[in-house]
Amino acid sequence: MDLFKALKVSAAGMDAQAMRLRVVAENLANRDSTASTAGGDPYRRKTITFEARFDRALGVETVRVKRVGRDETPFGTRFDPGHPAADERGYVKVPNVNSFIEVMDMREAQRSYSANLAVLEVTRGMLTRAIELLR
Amino acid sequence: MDPGRLPLFRLAEQRLAWLDRRQQVLAQNIANADTPGYAARDLAPFARVLARSGAVAPWRTHPQHISSAPPAPFGPARPERAAAERTPAANAVQIERELMKVAETETHHSLSIGLFRGFAGMIRTALGRVG
Repeated sequence: MDLFKALKVSAAGMDAQAMRLRVVAENLANRDSTASTAGGDPYRRKTITFEARFDRALGVETVRVKRVGRDETPFGTRFDPGHPAADERGYVKVPNVNSFIEVMDMREAQRSYSANLAVLEVTRGMLTRAIELLR
Repeated sequence: MDPGRLPLFRLAEQRLAWLDRRQQVLAQNIANADTPGYAARDLAPFARVLARSGAVAPWRTHPQHISSAPPAPFGPARPERAAAERTPAANAVQIERELMKVAETETHHSLSIGLFRGFAGMIRTALGRVG
């Protein structure tokens, strides 16, 4: 039945957005994770991409996480000679996480998650009403 | 008497099936609101589906007749013509617009269910049962 499929599609959408929120949380949590050895690389920002996937069992196109990748932009540096990760010139590499970008990503994920949830609720209401016809 | 053959029940059935299908397409659009390269889709309007299904079709009068075509599906969901703005990642889904369509679908679904209930009530009354 199509309404059940709609429920599953919405659930898949919420799943994907929840995964995106997880990646954002990881990035923000590791915003200050530097290396512990001299000149080592700090935490590298993670990225996430989605793709539409045709679900053969359901016969509908759902969404799923395509890949959790790494952001290859260069690391920033900070002058801190006393830091254990400082190189010979006294610079420490800091993660390439920009909290503004992460927060914006978080907001977007939240908005999409709510939209999926709204559709799920509407679909459930429609199903309930159809079932009530039996009474 | 087969209630499925009554025109109003048939119409309600088709309408509800179309609304179910549309709800599924809209859920798909919203689930893919952040998928690169995805464009929102929609079904052909119900009026057009109805006009198409009203075409003359052969009727089975004998079990050995080849059955006529199965009830017309609603056709594939096509990309919306009035293409919404695209994001840099080539995604063309406007969540607000899709949610508005979801609300519209829900309203029509309620209406169809209400009509169905009313008609069923009339039949019940004719059968001499109350409620």
